Amino acid sequence: MRVSFQEELDQLEASLQEEGALVLRVLRGALNALEQRDVELADEVIAFDDDVDRLYLQIELGIQTLLARQTPVATDLRLVLAMLHINLHLERMADYAVTIAKLTKLVADVEPDPPLQQSLQEMGERAEEMIRVALDSFADRDLDRAETLVELDELIDRTNRRFVERVVELVAEPELREWVLRMVLVSRTLERIGDHAVDIGEQVAYLLTAEFREFTDASHPEEHV
Amino acid sequence: MAPMRPVDVAAQTEPSTPQSRETVFDIQGLKASYGSNVAVKGVDLEIYRNLVTAVIGPSGCGKSTFIRCLNRMNDEVPGFRQEGKILYHGIDLYGDGVDQIEVRRRIGMVFQRPNPFPKTIYDNVAWAPRILGLKKDLDERVEKALKGAALWDEVKDRLKKSALALSGGQQQRLCIARAIAIEPEVLLLDEPASALDPIATASIEELMHDLKTDYTLVIVTHNMQQAARVADRTAFFSLDVDESGQGAGVLVEYDETGKLFTAPSDKRTEDYVTGRFG
Repeated sequence: MRVSFQEELDQLEASLQEEGALVLRVLRGALNALEQRDVELADEVIAFDDDVDRLYLQIELGIQTLLARQTPVATDLRLVLAMLHINLHLERMADYAVTIAKLTKLVADVEPDPPLQQSLQEMGERAEEMIRVALDSFADRDLDRAETLVELDELIDRTNRRFVERVVELVAEPELREWVLRMVLVSRTLERIGDHAVDIGEQVAYLLTAEFREFTDASHPEEHV
Repeated sequence: MAPMRPVDVAAQTEPSTPQSRETVFDIQGLKASYGSNVAVKGVDLEIYRNLVTAVIGPSGCGKSTFIRCLNRMNDEVPGFRQEGKILYHGIDLYGDGVDQIEVRRRIGMVFQRPNPFPKTIYDNVAWAPRILGLKKDLDERVEKALKGAALWDEVKDRLKKSALALSGGQQQRLCIARAIAIEPEVLLLDEPASALDPIATASIEELMHDLKTDYTLVIVTHNMQQAARVADRTAFFSLDVDESGQGAGVLVEYDETGKLFTAPSDKRTEDYVTGRFG
Protein backbone atom coordinates (compact mmCIF):
# COMPACT_ATOMS: atom_id res chain seq x y z
CA MET A 1 0.00 0.00 0.00
CA ARG A 2 1.45 3.34 -1.05
CA VAL A 3 0.42 5.33 2.01
CA SER A 4 2.06 8.65 1.14
CA PHE A 5 0.66 8.50 -2.38
CA GLN A 6 -2.86 7.94 -1.06
CA GLU A 7 -2.39 10.85 1.34
CA GLU A 8 -1.32 13.10 -1.52
CA LEU A 9 -4.39 12.09 -3.53
CA ASP A 10 -6.67 12.72 -0.54
CA GLN A 11 -5.02 16.10 0.09
CA LEU A 12 -5.52 17.16 -3.54
CA GLU A 13 -9.15 16.14 -3.45
CA ALA A 14 -9.68 18.05 -0.18
CA SER A 15 -8.08 21.14 -1.76
CA LEU A 16 -10.38 20.80 -4.73
CA GLN A 17 -13.45 20.72 -2.47
CA GLU A 18 -12.05 23.75 -0.65
CA GLU A 19 -11.70 25.51 -4.01
CA GLY A 20 -15.33 24.56 -4.73
CA ALA A 21 -16.42 26.15 -1.43
CA LEU A 22 -14.50 29.32 -2.34
CA VAL A 23 -16.20 29.42 -5.74
CA LEU A 24 -19.60 29.20 -4.05
CA ARG A 25 -18.65 32.09 -1.75
CA VAL A 26 -17.36 34.26 -4.56
CA LEU A 27 -20.47 33.58 -6.64
CA ARG A 28 -22.78 34.34 -3.72
CA GLY A 29 -20.88 37.60 -3.20
CA ALA A 30 -21.28 38.51 -6.86
CA LEU A 31 -25.02 37.76 -6.80
CA ASN A 32 -25.54 39.83 -3.63
CA ALA A 33 -23.53 42.72 -5.08
CA LEU A 34 -25.65 42.54 -8.22
CA GLU A 35 -28.95 42.51 -6.34
CA GLN A 36 -28.00 45.26 -3.91
CA ARG A 37 -25.96 47.29 -6.46
CA ASP A 38 -23.17 47.17 -3.91
CA VAL A 39 -19.94 48.41 -5.50
CA GLU A 40 -17.88 47.74 -2.40
CA LEU A 41 -18.94 44.13 -2.26
CA ALA A 42 -18.25 43.82 -6.01
CA ASP A 43 -14.69 44.98 -5.35
CA GLU A 44 -14.34 42.40 -2.60
CA VAL A 45 -15.49 39.70 -5.00
CA ILE A 46 -12.89 40.79 -7.54
CA ALA A 47 -10.13 40.71 -4.90
CA PHE A 48 -11.35 37.40 -3.50
CA ASP A 49 -10.71 35.74 -6.85
CA ASP A 50 -6.98 35.87 -6.05
CA ASP A 51 -7.58 33.30 -3.30
CA VAL A 52 -9.25 30.98 -5.80
CA ASP A 53 -6.37 31.48 -8.24
CA ARG A 54 -3.82 30.65 -5.56
CA LEU A 55 -5.59 27.44 -4.68
CA TYR A 56 -6.00 26.62 -8.38
CA LEU A 57 -2.24 26.95 -8.93
CA GLN A 58 -1.44 24.98 -5.81
CA ILE A 59 -3.64 22.09 -7.01
CA GLU A 60 -2.19 22.32 -10.52
CA LEU A 61 1.35 22.06 -9.13
CA GLY A 62 0.34 19.23 -6.81
CA ILE A 63 -1.04 17.26 -9.75
CA GLN A 64 2.07 17.94 -11.81
CA THR A 65 4.31 16.65 -9.01
CA LEU A 66 2.10 13.65 -8.41
CA LEU A 67 2.16 12.69 -12.10
CA ALA A 68 5.93 13.06 -12.26
CA ARG A 69 6.71 11.20 -9.06
CA GLN A 70 3.97 8.62 -8.61
CA THR A 71 2.96 7.76 -12.21
CA PRO A 72 -0.61 6.92 -11.21
CA VAL A 73 -2.51 4.30 -13.18
CA ALA A 74 -6.02 2.85 -13.33
CA THR A 75 -8.51 4.53 -10.94
CA ASP A 76 -5.74 6.72 -9.54
CA LEU A 77 -4.92 7.99 -13.02
CA ARG A 78 -8.56 8.68 -13.78
CA LEU A 79 -8.93 10.52 -10.46
CA VAL A 80 -5.88 12.68 -11.17
CA LEU A 81 -7.08 13.49 -14.70
CA ALA A 82 -10.59 14.26 -13.42
CA MET A 83 -9.13 16.57 -10.75
CA LEU A 84 -7.04 18.34 -13.38
CA HIS A 85 -10.21 19.15 -15.33
CA ILE A 86 -12.38 19.95 -12.32
CA ASN A 87 -9.73 22.35 -11.04
CA LEU A 88 -9.87 24.27 -14.32
CA HIS A 89 -13.68 24.32 -14.38
CA LEU A 90 -13.84 25.70 -10.84
CA GLU A 91 -11.31 28.40 -11.62
CA ARG A 92 -13.33 29.44 -14.67
CA MET A 93 -16.48 29.66 -12.56
CA ALA A 94 -14.72 32.04 -10.18
CA ASP A 95 -13.63 34.14 -13.17
CA TYR A 96 -17.26 34.33 -14.25
CA ALA A 97 -18.22 35.57 -10.78
CA VAL A 98 -15.61 38.31 -11.23
CA THR A 99 -17.19 39.19 -14.59
CA ILE A 100 -20.56 39.58 -12.85
CA ALA A 101 -18.95 41.82 -10.20
CA LYS A 102 -17.32 44.02 -12.87
CA LEU A 103 -20.55 44.38 -14.83
CA THR A 104 -22.38 45.20 -11.58
CA LYS A 105 -19.99 48.11 -10.98
CA LEU A 106 -20.56 49.46 -14.47
CA VAL A 107 -24.33 49.82 -13.98
CA ALA A 108 -24.50 50.46 -10.23
CA ASP A 109 -26.11 53.87 -10.85
CA VAL A 110 -28.77 52.63 -13.24
CA GLU A 111 -32.23 51.59 -12.09
CA PRO A 112 -32.73 47.89 -12.93
CA ASP A 113 -35.76 46.15 -14.38
CA PRO A 114 -37.26 44.14 -11.46
CA PRO A 115 -38.47 41.06 -13.45
CA LEU A 116 -35.06 40.72 -15.11
CA GLN A 117 -33.31 41.25 -11.82
CA GLN A 118 -35.48 38.47 -10.43
CA SER A 119 -34.55 36.15 -13.34
CA LEU A 120 -30.85 36.73 -12.75
CA GLN A 121 -31.17 35.88 -9.07
CA GLU A 122 -33.10 32.74 -10.01
CA MET A 123 -30.38 31.70 -12.45
CA GLY A 124 -27.72 32.46 -9.86
CA GLU A 125 -29.43 30.20 -7.33
CA ARG A 126 -29.67 27.44 -9.92
CA ALA A 127 -25.97 27.85 -10.74
CA GLU A 128 -25.13 27.55 -7.04
CA GLU A 129 -27.27 24.44 -6.77
CA MET A 130 -25.48 22.94 -9.77
CA ILE A 131 -22.04 23.62 -8.29
CA ARG A 132 -23.13 21.93 -5.07
CA VAL A 133 -24.48 18.90 -6.94
CA ALA A 134 -21.29 18.66 -9.03
CA LEU A 135 -19.04 18.82 -5.96
CA ASP A 136 -21.17 16.38 -3.95
CA SER A 137 -21.43 13.86 -6.78
CA PHE A 138 -17.64 13.98 -7.03
CA ALA A 139 -17.13 13.58 -3.28
CA ASP A 140 -19.65 10.73 -3.08
CA ARG A 141 -18.63 9.12 -6.41
CA ASP A 142 -22.32 9.29 -7.31
CA LEU A 143 -22.94 8.81 -11.03
CA ASP A 144 -26.74 9.20 -10.81
CA ARG A 145 -26.39 12.52 -9.02
CA ALA A 146 -23.82 13.71 -11.59
CA GLU A 147 -26.24 12.90 -14.39
CA THR A 148 -29.01 15.02 -12.80
CA LEU A 149 -26.90 18.05 -13.74
CA VAL A 150 -28.25 17.77 -17.28
CA GLU A 151 -31.80 18.49 -16.07
CA LEU A 152 -30.65 21.30 -13.80
CA ASP A 153 -28.78 22.81 -16.71
CA GLU A 154 -31.92 22.69 -18.83
CA LEU A 155 -33.69 24.82 -16.18
CA ILE A 156 -30.96 27.44 -16.20
CA ASP A 157 -30.94 27.47 -20.01
CA ARG A 158 -34.69 27.98 -20.04
CA THR A 159 -34.49 30.97 -17.70
CA ASN A 160 -31.72 32.38 -19.86
CA ARG A 161 -33.97 32.12 -22.94
CA ARG A 162 -36.82 33.84 -21.13
CA PHE A 163 -34.41 36.55 -20.05
CA VAL A 164 -33.36 37.19 -23.65
CA GLU A 165 -37.00 37.37 -24.78
CA ARG A 166 -37.70 40.07 -22.20
CA VAL A 167 -34.52 41.90 -23.19
CA VAL A 168 -35.75 42.10 -26.79
CA GLU A 169 -38.86 43.91 -25.48
CA LEU A 170 -36.92 46.31 -23.26
CA VAL A 171 -33.91 47.18 -25.36
CA ALA A 172 -35.83 49.94 -27.14
CA GLU A 173 -36.30 51.82 -23.85
CA PRO A 174 -33.41 54.30 -23.65
CA GLU A 175 -33.17 54.50 -19.85
CA LEU A 176 -32.87 50.69 -19.56
CA ARG A 177 -30.72 50.03 -22.59
CA GLU A 178 -27.28 50.04 -20.96
CA TRP A 179 -28.40 48.04 -17.94
CA VAL A 180 -30.14 45.48 -20.15
CA LEU A 181 -27.19 45.03 -22.46
CA ARG A 182 -24.79 44.53 -19.54
CA MET A 183 -27.18 42.10 -17.91
CA VAL A 184 -27.37 39.97 -21.06
CA LEU A 185 -23.74 39.22 -20.36
CA VAL A 186 -24.47 38.39 -16.72
CA SER A 187 -27.20 36.03 -17.81
CA ARG A 188 -24.90 34.37 -20.31
CA THR A 189 -22.20 34.10 -17.64
CA LEU A 190 -24.53 32.33 -15.22
CA GLU A 191 -25.58 29.99 -17.99
CA ARG A 192 -21.89 29.19 -18.63
CA ILE A 193 -21.31 28.44 -14.95
CA GLY A 194 -24.06 25.84 -15.29
CA ASP A 195 -22.25 24.35 -18.30
CA HIS A 196 -19.02 24.05 -16.30
CA ALA A 197 -20.92 22.28 -13.52
CA VAL A 198 -22.17 19.78 -16.12
CA ASP A 199 -18.57 19.34 -17.30
CA ILE A 200 -17.56 18.49 -13.73
CA GLY A 201 -20.35 15.92 -13.70
CA GLU A 202 -18.87 14.43 -16.87
CA GLN A 203 -15.51 14.12 -15.14
CA VAL A 204 -17.21 12.29 -12.27
CA ALA A 205 -18.73 9.91 -14.84
CA TYR A 206 -15.30 9.39 -16.45
CA LEU A 207 -13.76 8.66 -13.08
CA LEU A 208 -16.45 6.07 -12.33
CA THR A 209 -16.93 4.44 -15.73
CA ALA A 210 -13.58 5.05 -17.51
CA GLU A 211 -15.57 6.26 -20.53
CA PHE A 212 -15.22 9.69 -22.07
CA ARG A 213 -18.65 10.98 -22.92
CA GLU A 214 -20.52 14.24 -23.00
CA PHE A 215 -23.82 14.27 -21.15
CA THR A 216 -25.20 16.52 -23.86
CA ASP A 217 -23.92 17.11 -27.33
CA ALA A 218 -24.46 20.74 -28.28
CA SER A 219 -24.60 19.87 -31.99
CA HIS A 220 -27.05 16.96 -31.44
CA PRO A 221 -29.10 18.13 -28.46
CA GLU A 222 -31.82 15.55 -29.03
CA GLU A 223 -29.42 12.70 -28.24
CA HIS A 224 -28.58 13.65 -24.68
CA VAL A 225 -28.96 11.07 -21.92
CA MET B 1 -16.86 20.57 -55.26
CA ALA B 2 -17.82 17.12 -54.12
CA PRO B 3 -19.52 17.05 -50.74
CA MET B 4 -17.29 16.02 -47.89
CA ARG B 5 -17.93 12.55 -46.64
CA PRO B 6 -18.48 12.20 -42.93
CA VAL B 7 -15.48 10.74 -41.19
CA ASP B 8 -16.15 7.65 -39.18
CA VAL B 9 -14.14 8.51 -36.11
CA ALA B 10 -15.13 5.36 -34.25
CA ALA B 11 -13.79 3.17 -37.03
CA GLN B 12 -10.51 5.07 -37.08
CA THR B 13 -9.82 4.89 -33.39
CA GLU B 14 -10.99 1.32 -32.81
CA PRO B 15 -7.92 -0.82 -32.11
CA SER B 16 -7.55 -3.81 -34.36
CA THR B 17 -9.52 -6.62 -32.87
CA PRO B 18 -7.86 -9.83 -31.73
CA GLN B 19 -9.83 -11.63 -34.44
CA SER B 20 -7.96 -9.73 -37.15
CA ARG B 21 -4.57 -10.74 -35.76
CA GLU B 22 -2.58 -13.83 -36.42
CA THR B 23 -2.23 -16.04 -33.38
CA VAL B 24 1.31 -17.28 -32.74
CA PHE B 25 0.71 -19.05 -29.44
CA ASP B 26 -2.62 -20.48 -28.40
CA ILE B 27 -2.25 -21.56 -24.78
CA GLN B 28 -5.01 -23.77 -23.44
CA GLY B 29 -5.40 -24.81 -19.80
CA LEU B 30 -1.71 -24.62 -19.07
CA LYS B 31 -0.58 -26.02 -15.75
CA ALA B 32 3.11 -26.22 -14.87
CA SER B 33 4.51 -27.79 -11.72
CA TYR B 34 7.86 -28.50 -10.12
CA GLY B 35 7.31 -31.69 -8.15
CA SER B 36 4.25 -31.07 -5.99
CA ASN B 37 4.54 -27.28 -6.30
CA VAL B 38 2.19 -25.82 -8.88
CA ALA B 39 3.83 -22.77 -10.48
CA VAL B 40 0.97 -21.78 -12.78
CA LYS B 41 -2.44 -23.26 -13.50
CA GLY B 42 -5.47 -22.72 -15.68
CA VAL B 43 -3.77 -20.36 -18.13
CA ASP B 44 -5.72 -19.71 -21.34
CA LEU B 45 -4.25 -17.05 -23.57
CA GLU B 46 -3.43 -16.19 -27.16
CA ILE B 47 -0.30 -14.32 -28.17
CA TYR B 48 -0.43 -12.40 -31.43
CA ARG B 49 2.11 -11.89 -34.16
CA ASN B 50 4.27 -8.74 -34.37
CA LEU B 51 3.08 -7.44 -31.04
CA VAL B 52 4.92 -6.96 -27.78
CA THR B 53 3.11 -8.92 -25.10
CA ALA B 54 4.13 -8.22 -21.51
CA VAL B 55 3.68 -10.56 -18.58
CA ILE B 56 3.53 -8.80 -15.22
CA GLY B 57 2.77 -9.87 -11.69
CA PRO B 58 4.20 -10.19 -8.20
CA SER B 59 7.15 -12.44 -7.35
CA GLY B 60 6.24 -16.09 -7.35
CA CYS B 61 3.21 -15.74 -9.64
CA GLY B 62 4.80 -18.04 -12.21
CA LYS B 63 5.46 -15.50 -14.94
CA SER B 64 9.00 -16.76 -15.63
CA THR B 65 7.82 -20.38 -15.58
CA PHE B 66 5.11 -19.39 -18.02
CA ILE B 67 7.43 -17.73 -20.53
CA ARG B 68 9.91 -20.61 -20.26
CA CYS B 69 7.14 -23.02 -21.22
CA LEU B 70 6.85 -21.19 -24.54
CA ASN B 71 10.17 -22.54 -25.83
CA ARG B 72 10.45 -25.63 -23.65
CA MET B 73 13.17 -24.22 -21.43
CA ASN B 74 11.77 -26.14 -18.47
CA ASP B 75 12.19 -29.54 -20.09
CA GLU B 76 15.49 -30.26 -18.35
CA VAL B 77 14.36 -29.05 -14.94
CA PRO B 78 14.06 -32.10 -12.63
CA GLY B 79 10.48 -32.78 -11.55
CA PHE B 80 9.00 -30.35 -14.06
CA ARG B 81 5.60 -31.34 -15.34
CA GLN B 82 3.27 -29.62 -17.71
CA GLU B 83 -0.41 -30.12 -18.54
CA GLY B 84 -2.66 -28.41 -21.04
CA LYS B 85 -1.62 -27.36 -24.51
CA ILE B 86 0.62 -24.76 -26.08
CA LEU B 87 -0.14 -24.55 -29.77
CA TYR B 88 2.44 -22.73 -31.87
CA HIS B 89 0.81 -21.85 -35.19
CA GLY B 90 -1.61 -24.66 -34.41
CA ILE B 91 1.11 -27.25 -33.71
CA ASP B 92 1.38 -28.69 -30.21
CA LEU B 93 4.82 -27.58 -28.96
CA TYR B 94 4.98 -30.55 -26.64
CA GLY B 95 3.55 -33.02 -29.17
CA ASP B 96 5.24 -36.18 -30.35
CA GLY B 97 7.92 -35.66 -32.94
CA VAL B 98 8.46 -31.97 -32.20
CA ASP B 99 12.18 -31.23 -32.27
CA GLN B 100 13.25 -29.24 -29.21
CA ILE B 101 16.19 -27.69 -31.09
CA GLU B 102 13.88 -26.52 -33.84
CA VAL B 103 11.54 -25.04 -31.22
CA ARG B 104 14.36 -22.97 -29.76
CA ARG B 105 15.59 -21.95 -33.20
CA ARG B 106 12.20 -20.44 -33.95
CA ILE B 107 11.56 -19.15 -30.46
CA GLY B 108 14.63 -17.37 -29.08
CA MET B 109 15.23 -16.22 -25.55
CA VAL B 110 17.05 -13.38 -23.80
CA PHE B 111 17.67 -13.56 -20.06
CA GLN B 112 17.78 -11.15 -17.16
CA ARG B 113 21.55 -10.89 -16.93
CA PRO B 114 23.50 -10.42 -20.14
CA ASN B 115 25.37 -13.67 -20.67
CA PRO B 116 27.77 -13.25 -23.59
CA PHE B 117 30.20 -16.08 -24.27
CA PRO B 118 33.83 -15.26 -23.38
CA LYS B 119 34.55 -14.89 -27.05
CA THR B 120 34.78 -12.08 -29.57
CA ILE B 121 31.75 -9.99 -30.41
CA TYR B 122 31.70 -11.57 -33.86
CA ASP B 123 31.89 -15.13 -32.56
CA ASN B 124 29.09 -14.53 -30.08
CA VAL B 125 26.74 -13.64 -32.90
CA ALA B 126 28.13 -16.22 -35.37
CA TRP B 127 28.00 -19.06 -32.88
CA ALA B 128 24.41 -20.23 -33.32
CA PRO B 129 24.37 -19.89 -37.14
CA ARG B 130 27.58 -21.98 -37.30
CA ILE B 131 26.07 -24.68 -35.08
CA LEU B 132 22.99 -24.78 -37.29
CA GLY B 133 25.13 -24.97 -40.44
CA LEU B 134 24.10 -21.51 -41.63
CA LYS B 135 27.65 -20.70 -42.70
CA LYS B 136 26.88 -19.05 -46.03
CA ASP B 137 27.27 -15.25 -45.98
CA LEU B 138 28.08 -15.39 -42.29
CA ASP B 139 29.57 -11.87 -42.22
CA GLU B 140 26.39 -10.44 -43.66
CA ARG B 141 24.32 -12.41 -41.16
CA VAL B 142 26.38 -11.11 -38.23
CA GLU B 143 26.14 -7.54 -39.50
CA LYS B 144 22.38 -7.80 -40.01
CA ALA B 145 21.87 -9.21 -36.51
CA LEU B 146 24.01 -6.50 -34.91
CA LYS B 147 22.17 -3.84 -36.88
CA GLY B 148 18.86 -5.40 -35.84
CA ALA B 149 19.94 -5.15 -32.22
CA ALA B 150 20.99 -1.49 -32.71
CA LEU B 151 24.57 -2.34 -31.81
CA TRP B 152 26.38 -2.33 -35.15
CA ASP B 153 27.52 1.30 -35.12
CA GLU B 154 29.03 0.87 -31.68
CA VAL B 155 30.97 -2.33 -32.38
CA LYS B 156 31.66 -2.50 -36.12
CA ASP B 157 35.31 -1.48 -35.61
CA ARG B 158 35.99 -3.97 -32.85
CA LEU B 159 34.20 -7.14 -33.89
CA LYS B 160 37.24 -9.22 -33.00
CA LYS B 161 37.46 -7.80 -29.50
CA SER B 162 36.10 -9.64 -26.48
CA ALA B 163 32.38 -9.29 -25.87
CA LEU B 164 33.11 -9.09 -22.15
CA ALA B 165 34.58 -5.60 -22.66
CA LEU B 166 31.18 -4.23 -23.65
CA SER B 167 28.97 -2.33 -21.19
CA GLY B 168 26.01 -4.10 -19.61
CA GLY B 169 23.53 -2.51 -21.98
CA GLN B 170 25.70 -3.37 -24.98
CA GLN B 171 26.10 -6.94 -23.75
CA GLN B 172 22.33 -7.28 -23.49
CA ARG B 173 21.90 -5.97 -27.02
CA LEU B 174 24.61 -8.43 -28.10
CA CYS B 175 22.53 -11.22 -26.56
CA ILE B 176 19.56 -9.97 -28.56
CA ALA B 177 21.75 -9.91 -31.70
CA ARG B 178 22.82 -13.45 -30.89
CA ALA B 179 19.20 -14.51 -30.56
CA ILE B 180 18.09 -12.91 -33.82
CA ALA B 181 21.13 -14.10 -35.82
CA ILE B 182 19.31 -17.32 -36.58
CA GLU B 183 16.18 -15.41 -37.58
CA PRO B 184 13.68 -16.75 -35.09
CA GLU B 185 10.04 -15.74 -35.27
CA VAL B 186 9.56 -15.13 -31.58
CA LEU B 187 11.78 -13.50 -28.96
CA LEU B 188 11.10 -14.27 -25.32
CA LEU B 189 12.67 -11.75 -22.95
CA ASP B 190 12.83 -12.60 -19.25
CA GLU B 191 13.32 -9.29 -17.41
CA PRO B 192 15.83 -8.17 -20.05
CA ALA B 193 16.48 -4.74 -18.55
CA SER B 194 16.32 -5.39 -14.82
CA ALA B 195 20.13 -5.47 -14.49
CA LEU B 196 20.63 -2.35 -16.63
CA ASP B 197 20.88 1.35 -15.87
CA PRO B 198 18.09 3.70 -17.07
CA ILE B 199 19.87 4.71 -20.30
CA ALA B 200 20.63 1.12 -21.30
CA THR B 201 17.05 0.22 -20.31
CA ALA B 202 15.69 2.95 -22.59
CA SER B 203 17.76 1.64 -25.50
CA ILE B 204 16.48 -1.92 -24.95
CA GLU B 205 12.91 -0.63 -24.79
CA GLU B 206 13.40 1.40 -27.95
CA LEU B 207 14.88 -1.68 -29.61
CA MET B 208 11.86 -3.77 -28.65
CA HIS B 209 9.67 -1.24 -30.37
CA ASP B 210 11.73 -1.62 -33.58
CA LEU B 211 12.02 -5.41 -33.34
CA LYS B 212 8.30 -6.05 -33.34
CA THR B 213 8.16 -5.20 -37.04
CA ASP B 214 9.96 -8.48 -37.71
CA TYR B 215 9.41 -10.51 -34.56
CA THR B 216 6.79 -11.40 -32.04
CA LEU B 217 8.00 -10.41 -28.56
CA VAL B 218 6.97 -11.68 -25.17
CA ILE B 219 8.53 -9.91 -22.20
CA VAL B 220 8.39 -10.77 -18.53
CA THR B 221 8.97 -7.70 -16.43
CA HIS B 222 8.52 -6.75 -12.80
CA ASN B 223 8.64 -3.12 -13.87
CA MET B 224 5.04 -2.15 -14.54
CA GLN B 225 5.96 1.14 -16.15
CA GLN B 226 8.16 -0.76 -18.56
CA ALA B 227 5.22 -2.95 -19.53
CA ALA B 228 3.10 0.19 -19.94
CA ARG B 229 5.75 1.74 -22.18
CA VAL B 230 6.65 -1.17 -24.45
CA ALA B 231 3.79 -3.65 -24.59
CA ASP B 232 0.79 -3.69 -26.91
CA ARG B 233 -0.94 -6.24 -24.73
CA THR B 234 -0.33 -7.11 -21.11
CA ALA B 235 -1.11 -10.23 -19.11
CA PHE B 236 -1.36 -9.88 -15.35
CA PHE B 237 -0.57 -13.00 -13.33
CA SER B 238 -1.23 -13.28 -9.63
CA LEU B 239 -0.79 -15.79 -6.87
CA ASP B 240 -3.89 -17.75 -5.99
CA VAL B 241 -3.75 -19.46 -2.59
CA ASP B 242 -6.18 -22.34 -1.98
CA GLU B 243 -7.71 -23.53 1.33
CA SER B 244 -4.73 -25.75 2.09
CA GLY B 245 -2.40 -22.76 1.81
CA GLN B 246 -0.96 -23.98 -1.49
CA GLY B 247 -0.24 -21.11 -3.86
CA ALA B 248 -0.24 -21.19 -7.66
CA GLY B 249 0.10 -18.55 -10.33
CA VAL B 250 -3.05 -17.73 -12.30
CA LEU B 251 -3.76 -15.42 -15.20
CA VAL B 252 -6.02 -12.70 -13.81
CA GLU B 253 -6.41 -10.35 -16.75
CA TYR B 254 -5.14 -10.05 -20.31
CA ASP B 255 -5.95 -7.00 -22.39
CA GLU B 256 -4.69 -4.09 -24.45
CA THR B 257 -1.99 -2.41 -22.35
CA GLY B 258 -3.75 0.97 -22.40
CA LYS B 259 -6.94 -0.59 -21.09
CA LEU B 260 -5.15 -2.57 -18.40
CA PHE B 261 -3.42 0.53 -17.04
CA THR B 262 -6.37 2.93 -17.25
CA ALA B 263 -9.43 0.81 -16.63
CA PRO B 264 -8.57 -2.72 -15.52
CA SER B 265 -11.55 -5.06 -15.28
CA ASP B 266 -10.42 -7.08 -12.30
CA LYS B 267 -10.04 -5.68 -8.78
CA ARG B 268 -6.83 -7.69 -8.30
CA THR B 269 -5.27 -6.04 -11.37
CA GLU B 270 -6.39 -2.63 -10.14
CA ASP B 271 -4.84 -3.27 -6.73
CA TYR B 272 -1.59 -4.49 -8.22
CA VAL B 273 -1.03 -1.77 -10.83
CA THR B 274 -1.96 1.00 -8.39
CA GLY B 275 0.41 -0.40 -5.78
CA ARG B 276 -2.30 -1.42 -3.32
CA PHE B 277 -1.45 -5.09 -3.64
CA GLY B 278 -1.21 -6.96 -0.37
